[in-house]
Amino acid sequence: MNRAERWAAAAVALMLVAGAVIFLYAPTDALQGPVQRIFYLHVSAAIAAYGCFAVVLLGGIVYLRNESLVADRCARAGALVGVVLTTVTLVMGMLWAKPIWGTFWTWDARLTSTLVLWIIYAGYLLVRRLAEPGRQAARIGAVVGIFGFVDVPVVHFSVTWWRTQHPGPIIVNDALPAQMLATFLLTMACTLILAAVMVWMRYRIETLMDEKQHIAEPVKVVTAREPEPVP
Amino acid sequence: MSYLILAYAFAIAALGGYLVWSLRELRDLERKH
Repeated sequence: MNRAERWAAAAVALMLVAGAVIFLYAPTDALQGPVQRIFYLHVSAAIAAYGCFAVVLLGGIVYLRNESLVADRCARAGALVGVVLTTVTLVMGMLWAKPIWGTFWTWDARLTSTLVLWIIYAGYLLVRRLAEPGRQAARIGAVVGIFGFVDVPVVHFSVTWWRTQHPGPIIVNDALPAQMLATFLLTMACTLILAAVMVWMRYRIETLMDEKQHIAEPVKVVTAREPEPVP
Repeated sequence: MSYLILAYAFAIAALGGYLVWSLRELRDLERKH
């Protein structure tokens, strides 16, 4: 078992613990019944996706400042894992909405802005896939990643800025009983660790792919100073 | 109940599938490297 497999196994083990807590420890919601257990991973995946998109934002800023390939690879890794986590958030949300709202989808601000977020970062991945690897693609990607992040606070605050079908913030408003809050915090911690492992693995993959394509850090050319004129 | 099972089955398939795919890709690249 190599290092990546050991980290992946540890992250999976943590997620299994979270799963056991969700299904065996967390109380059943009196109003919604067992389907409310979707909440724990649905919200955790959304928060982990925000974290991944923050990595894309920081990677983009650092890349535009000093053209660091490490920053660009971090951004690429964050975008892919973020899209996977946003997909999980969206689909779990739809499967939760059907029995509670009677429909899989409604064009309210939270759902629509989350779908826009998914499209932005799927677009980022498409740009990176289609563009010739190199400086130009990295610069375009950095700009898309930086401006794309504008949608993250829009998604997060959409439930307070607009009247939505989606429920408002319940964690910050102390609306969760202690057992549910503990389950949520544990699931969120485990999901964040899983996301970090996934980003790290993707970073390794991007590094090896760059090396295969002979893409290396730009060499800084240091020119010798002109000799001082002799008076 | 079925929506709860469907939701977690999808999450396991998506996250687990992505993890396995990444591990295989990483192993292939490391072997070739």
